Amino acid sequence: MRKDRVSIARIMKYVVALAVIGFIVLLMLYASGSRKPFEEVEKAVSASLDKESLTEQDDSRLRRNFGLNPADYAGVMYYSSESNISAEEVLLIKVNREDQIETVTEAIEERIESRMNDFEGYAPGEVRILEDSVQSVRGAYIFFAAAPEAGDYLSVFNSSL
Amino acid sequence: MLFSSITFLFLFLPIVLAVYYIVPYKAKNIILLAASLLFYAWGEPVYVILMILSILFNYFCGQDIRERGDDPRRAKMSLIFALTGNILILGFFKYFPFLMETLNAMLPEDIPYRELALPVGISFYTFQAISYLLDIYWKRAEAQKNILQFALYISMFPKLTAGPIVRYADIAEQLRSRRMSPARFGQGAMHFIIGLAKKTVIANTAGEVFEEIAAMPAGNLSILTAWLGVISFAFQIYFDFSGYSDMAVGLGKMFGFEFRKNFDYPYTSKSVTEFWRRWHISLSTWFREYVYIPLGGNQCTVSRNIFNLMVVWTLTGMWHGAAWNFIAWGVYYGVILVTEKYMWGAILENLPKIVQHIYTAVIVLVGWVFFFSPSLGYAMRYLLAMVGGGAGIADARGAFILLTHWLMYLIAVIGSSNFGLRIIRGAVGSFRSQTAQTVAGAVVYIGMFLISVAFLVTDTFNPFLYFRF
Repeated sequence: MRKDRVSIARIMKYVVALAVIGFIVLLMLYASGSRKPFEEVEKAVSASLDKESLTEQDDSRLRRNFGLNPADYAGVMYYSSESNISAEEVLLIKVNREDQIETVTEAIEERIESRMNDFEGYAPGEVRILEDSVQSVRGAYIFFAAAPEAGDYLSVFNSSL
Repeated sequence: MLFSSITFLFLFLPIVLAVYYIVPYKAKNIILLAASLLFYAWGEPVYVILMILSILFNYFCGQDIRERGDDPRRAKMSLIFALTGNILILGFFKYFPFLMETLNAMLPEDIPYRELALPVGISFYTFQAISYLLDIYWKRAEAQKNILQFALYISMFPKLTAGPIVRYADIAEQLRSRRMSPARFGQGAMHFIIGLAKKTVIANTAGEVFEEIAAMPAGNLSILTAWLGVISFAFQIYFDFSGYSDMAVGLGKMFGFEFRKNFDYPYTSKSVTEFWRRWHISLSTWFREYVYIPLGGNQCTVSRNIFNLMVVWTLTGMWHGAAWNFIAWGVYYGVILVTEKYMWGAILENLPKIVQHIYTAVIVLVGWVFFFSPSLGYAMRYLLAMVGGGAGIADARGAFILLTHWLMYLIAVIGSSNFGLRIIRGAVGSFRSQTAQTVAGAVVYIGMFLISVAFLVTDTFNPFLYFRF
């Protein structure tokens, strides 16, 4: 009986060690960030956007819509629709410090909630865009897209890292 | 999730406490474990898997070390495997980007690499796991057979994200059986409120001043502003971290656990040696028990003792972060402590107390410059500004900060010694009847809680500094 327990503990510690390695490999594949300069990632993502429906916005618009101060971050790219009845927008931010990640993701959640309230009841298509919006945190990069092509934009973001 | 957040204070904590006290005694550990995993997953939904894997790995390694206890060589091999696993996991998440950055700085071509975010609390829970493994190996404690109790030891939410680092031998018995009482719950709540006030009222305010000064180029700082900057940081990090520790100790009491205190008024120290007996006590104790003493401690030659001290302090610096400024900070303290021990410690003891206090304050403040600086170059420029190499003796910015924040500095100075607590206790104790004292105590602590919440709701997101370690 004692021998069985010994072997189980011994086997399990190797199994778990392998599971840790596997988990880290998955993290590296799907959650890691890169050391690429912000300009390179921004260029790649920006080039993929539908410029007919999205326009690059200035710092004041980001402050107004997300309550974030662009000067606090290593890099910010913000596109949104000029139309008041469109929910389309794409945000790319590179943070300076890890603790800024939660600030940005909370701001994005609040923005989605606020826009849902704006469109609920009269623009179901825009609500759907917001429901299908995508977010991704990869290292120091945070990406958010609410657009019919949000999935494509996310793929470009991932491959740009 | 942060202790100093509305979600934690008014949702998570009340619900967990209610369920914890309602369920039968046998189910309390399960409730606390579930709450701890939820607490961690709230902020780290992916890394909670890593923590669970770490729990399983260390649980089975602990069992294996116990089973091989009769054969010292095999037990040692098992321990080495377990320690290597823990150090590799911690090293990968914490030091891999630093290693690559350093390599790339030396090589003619950059090696491309990807990096992962640092899992919150990984340094704390890994050190606890190592303490567990070594305590079993040295037979200071029995290996934990109950995986739920072991998982609770590693993941218990009051101490999970920023300590204190609780040694397994200190808590093993409490995991099995602990005493809960209204009196202990009340003491815990008072501890928690004091910690919350430290964080929200003092640390965050001092942090705002520091951020404002740190945003200026070091070369543009006057002596006054540079000193105000480092003093503000000193208050921020002390009230931030000791506030968190007070909250952790308080929460522990509320759930029936006793954690040792992590701070003992370090800024009242009369030497740097004394400062490190009072600052982050659980980390200093960990390094003493698991590194310094196994290396030979002071039961050896002077040169070996100096080597041991330098190893411990370099590791202490590295523990705080993967950057050269933290290593420099650790080495700085290693050198100071060695010289204090072998050169001027005896002389220092004979000097007037005020000189001892000033000496310690200056050494500690210079140390904080290394600690908060993003690079060694910045640290040097900042230190230069502190001695007049910046923008003169005083400027309007420094004077304005002093005039607008004098009250915060005064409260911080009072709160850095036990004088603040004595004032509160004196005020409460001045009433004659026990009932009046109880009411006065309740008014004081509820008042502190309400003021803290008021600061909290008007403040921007402000995580604890030690989360990044």
